[in-house]
Amino acid sequence: MVTYIVRRLIQAIPIVIGISVISFAIVYLTPGSPIDKFRTGRVSPQTIANLIRVYGLDQPLPVQFVNWFTHFWSFPFNSTAWGYSFTDGLPVRDKIFGRAPSTLLLMGTSLVVSMLLAIPIGILQAVKQYSWADRIITTFETIGYAMPTFWLGLILKQFFSVQLKWLPLYGQNTLGKQGDIPDMIAHLILPVSTLAVVSVAGWSRYMRASMLEVLRQDYVRTARAKGLGPARVIGRHALRNALIPIVTLLGLTIPTLLSGAAITETVFSWPGLGWLGVQAVGDRDYPVVLAVTMIGGMMVILGNLLADVLYGVVDPRIHY
Amino acid sequence: MASSESIRSGAAGPTSTSTDTDEVDLVAVQTYWQLVRRRFLRNRTAVIGLVLLAFLVFSAIVFPMVGGDAWYRTSLVHHPTDPVSIDAPLGYDNLGRNIFFRLTKGLQTSLIIGFFAVLIITLIGTTFGSISGYAGGLVDNVMMRVVDIVLSLPGFFLILMLVAFIGGIVPPMMVIIIAIGITGWTTAARLVRAEFLRLRESDFVQAAKALGASDSRIIIRHMVPSAMAPVLVAATLGIADAVVTEAALSFLGYGIRDPDASLGNMLTAAQDYFYRQPLWIYYPGITLILVVLAASFVGDGLRDALDPRQKLEA
Repeated sequence: MVTYIVRRLIQAIPIVIGISVISFAIVYLTPGSPIDKFRTGRVSPQTIANLIRVYGLDQPLPVQFVNWFTHFWSFPFNSTAWGYSFTDGLPVRDKIFGRAPSTLLLMGTSLVVSMLLAIPIGILQAVKQYSWADRIITTFETIGYAMPTFWLGLILKQFFSVQLKWLPLYGQNTLGKQGDIPDMIAHLILPVSTLAVVSVAGWSRYMRASMLEVLRQDYVRTARAKGLGPARVIGRHALRNALIPIVTLLGLTIPTLLSGAAITETVFSWPGLGWLGVQAVGDRDYPVVLAVTMIGGMMVILGNLLADVLYGVVDPRIHY
Repeated sequence: MASSESIRSGAAGPTSTSTDTDEVDLVAVQTYWQLVRRRFLRNRTAVIGLVLLAFLVFSAIVFPMVGGDAWYRTSLVHHPTDPVSIDAPLGYDNLGRNIFFRLTKGLQTSLIIGFFAVLIITLIGTTFGSISGYAGGLVDNVMMRVVDIVLSLPGFFLILMLVAFIGGIVPPMMVIIIAIGITGWTTAARLVRAEFLRLRESDFVQAAKALGASDSRIIIRHMVPSAMAPVLVAATLGIADAVVTEAALSFLGYGIRDPDASLGNMLTAAQDYFYRQPLWIYYPGITLILVVLAASFVGDGLRDALDPRQKLEA
């Protein structure tokens, strides 16, 4: 297992380099330069030339890339490894790590909520296949899956915050109530529901298909023939195997922790990484944009690795 | 398609009684695409999707033409509080613009972007995948690592970057099409490559090779047409993704901007009228859902219909 993980990580190196080259290229080859904001007429040409030299912008592009890339990986020890944000001058690393808990809280909660809903729903649908309940749920799943998250977010905001005034409209805390847990939970409800509706629609479909597959197996029939009750057959014999593909898919959703929530975070002004990234693009805050893209890419690689490792963990037939 | 028509008319004749094969089929001679069509038309969901899609395309073409400049013409005499009429079935927005015509214009924008983005995705994906699958070996290996790299980049975020950073130079619609096109081709490339790996060893390709056909002729004339079925499904489903991506971009303020109409920027505008005009967020939203549903119904129907293992009776 350890050698497998190490081998996979080594294989990931060229991909990481590729991601870096592309992100770097997009940021640096697009029109406009980070220095442009100083070209106001008030800044002397000499100062601009100095700035260009200080930031190394006069060097050949490959040199700039290697400088940035090697510097990037010193982030565990060096708070300036990802540079300074153009908007507020703070070190990008601290900005990113400062926002990460909010994203993890939002995505973690919605993942747990959607699993707690999707797994029982999927089981119910599989056990009662083609019943009216199955048909109605399938219809809702189809619509839920087709629903764009940002629109669903708007609908929920419009109904629960504007019409009914039950829940806060945006943000993570009411002003002056930072760290107040009940207040934060109230702020979490709508964004979590938005993300959960779409993912429950997807997950329960997978769960239904997976459960149907397992229920057809011989050992399930054997368990029934032994005289075990339906709760024990489904809950103990079938469920465990039906969860295997779900666990694998779980690893593949890790990357959406970042990019999938970008739109939802923006709709609800949730101060997470996704919203930070969207804002940074708008502000042309290149260091932040680069860092967010790199983190996004890394999460895809780690998510894929996690999916494969989990697959081996939950299914003892698989050896690496 | 012309040849399939002639075969079908022949099938109606007396020759169709020959039943020397194992299959017992009412119409003996049928081309692959005729079978696909029959299977597709027997699928109720797929037909609903196709009708819905046809209706949406029709609305996107006809209503903007009927309405003329009504979708962007502001007016001081029309107000959001005006009663709905036959001229403005969905009323007027805060600038006195006709919401119905704005909506259909937005739908038109969405469908154009969806169509051309998917076209680019298919072109790049097919070219890339066929070269990779045909060449095999080291070339294939390197090209697939490129696919891995592009797949690892955070998709929506990358599109957002491209649209925001190169948005000033090119018209917004074109930027969105290009951004979705150059980031989304990996799935198509993988599908085509997989088909090519399978087809490369097949008899008809070997025969073409033995006859001395050039590589490009074998790829373009013989292999690409046989490899297109899974790409067609992916492309249909891809329209839904492209339309939603465009709406999200425009909603965030990066794609199509007011006064140009887009389902996304209509949602942004509707946010300011949450309390007084709650219905405004439903018009573009429901239109979006209809587009997504239509595309996915047709896509799923195509997938089932294109699968030769599926029996007609099913």
